[in-house]
Amino acid sequence: MKDIKDLNLPEGLKYDVEHEWIATAAPFRIGVSDFAQDALGDLTYVELPEVGATFAKGDEFGTLESTKSVSPLFLPVAGEITAVNEKLNDDPGLVNSDPYGEGWIVEITPSDAAQLETLMDVAAYRKHLETAGH
Amino acid sequence: MAAASSEPLRKTILNPVHRALGGTMVDFGGWEMPLWYPGGAVKEHLAVITAAGLFDTSHMSVIVGRGTNIRHFLNFALSKDIAGLKIGRAAYGIILNEKGFSIDDTIIYPLAEDRFGLVVNAGMSATVISHLRSLPGGEAFSWTDLTGVCAKLDIQGPAAYAIFRPFVENADAVFAKFPYFSFQGDFDFAQSAVHLRDGTPILLSRTGYTGELGFEIFLPAAKAANLWNELLAMGAEQGLTACGLAARDSLRAGAVLPLSHQDIGPWPFINNPWPWALPTDENGAFTKDFMGRAALDPATAGHTLPFAGFDPRKVETHGAKVLLGGREIGHVLTCVADMAIGRVDNRIYSLASPDKPENFSPRGLVCGFVKVSDPLAAGTVITLKDARRELKVEIREDIRPARTARKALG
Repeated sequence: MKDIKDLNLPEGLKYDVEHEWIATAAPFRIGVSDFAQDALGDLTYVELPEVGATFAKGDEFGTLESTKSVSPLFLPVAGEITAVNEKLNDDPGLVNSDPYGEGWIVEITPSDAAQLETLMDVAAYRKHLETAGH
Repeated sequence: MAAASSEPLRKTILNPVHRALGGTMVDFGGWEMPLWYPGGAVKEHLAVITAAGLFDTSHMSVIVGRGTNIRHFLNFALSKDIAGLKIGRAAYGIILNEKGFSIDDTIIYPLAEDRFGLVVNAGMSATVISHLRSLPGGEAFSWTDLTGVCAKLDIQGPAAYAIFRPFVENADAVFAKFPYFSFQGDFDFAQSAVHLRDGTPILLSRTGYTGELGFEIFLPAAKAANLWNELLAMGAEQGLTACGLAARDSLRAGAVLPLSHQDIGPWPFINNPWPWALPTDENGAFTKDFMGRAALDPATAGHTLPFAGFDPRKVETHGAKVLLGGREIGHVLTCVADMAIGRVDNRIYSLASPDKPENFSPRGLVCGFVKVSDPLAAGTVITLKDARRELKVEIREDIRPARTARKALG
């Protein structure tokens, strides 16, 4: 696994403790962090939600699967799914190769933009990774 | 498995090599082992199907038993009938207790009439030796645990022979006749007749845990890093890829091979896809007396069956139920994705299938084993259910086609 110092953790995104990231402006794109994709290993399947589905903050909205494991995806803030990354159906490995770009997972319309403020910025997320003993 | 989580993890002699390669290290049976390397488990799995993979399996245990009439003793202790197993031929068998439950599985190596090798799983040597000693007459034999002294590298895949052959001294003679499940050399390396070209004595076994052509190379632990590094350097052009335990698990599942303590364990070893590990004649009657025999009743035991699904989605292995027509009939033992296979018009092809459709680019299929109360025919569609989803899969006789384990060398 990568050392924390080698992780690609971009500025300008918000992160949650489950290792999802979310953009802070529309379209509110969501994906998983470099830490998450590295820990999960090569992805073999991504289960995406339906466009139009609504979820509460922390709800499971899909899965990331490796050859051996099934890992839930949790929505970092409440909202409605407005787009899903259909490319992941044919190439789930995009989440591994480009977790903040081609490997984005969904876009949402947050139902309460104030919830974004409860998430971590990159400095806090890096500290979370360090103190959680990863 | 044997080691409690509070004990420090044991490390194979290759541990620093795995770390230098950037391997993701995990606890497996009390050993710190690579789960995958930075290239990823999918690439590793596919390399073994299309080229070759190199695995460190030095966490497995080699036991050598010595004494007069040890063949007779082991023929009672093991499920496999080894009365006629020639020196130089290996066999797969199960070490059963009096209930017919599997203690562990093993490959048996008759080295000499008074000396047999047993290769068992990580952390299992003490348990197995203690069990063998407890059987009638077991104290009469000496049991030596070579764990840590003897390293093991597995080279597996269609290119394995071409890559490995140049490393072997007198290769013409060694490989002139080398069928599946045979071996040459000795675990007592000082008296082994098979050597690498640098003089390292080895025991070379044409076996493996992937379903693909290849060898398990047993050698003195101090020589393992050198062979590992040279194989990867020399084999790179032919696609040789360092592989971790995740690829090993998905490859073996597609090859319908059991993982000890997961697919075989504390229940009667019968009604499963491995009847060749039992001493049965063509009518299914046992041909010898052996430990656990009386408890193996096919009429009362459950059924362990292979399955494959229709896409790569999985259920959680632990706790997933098996449903048939809405009725719960059992649970999931193994659930992984074999990324080298896919369905076209409902037929399963592998990347290695000679008759695969043009532009075949599989997305992988879920596969594994279930343990159920009913004897289900191949083709039966069952439902695997965990907290998240219900997944339809098909009971199979076989999973990944076009495997190469038994192919002629060369």
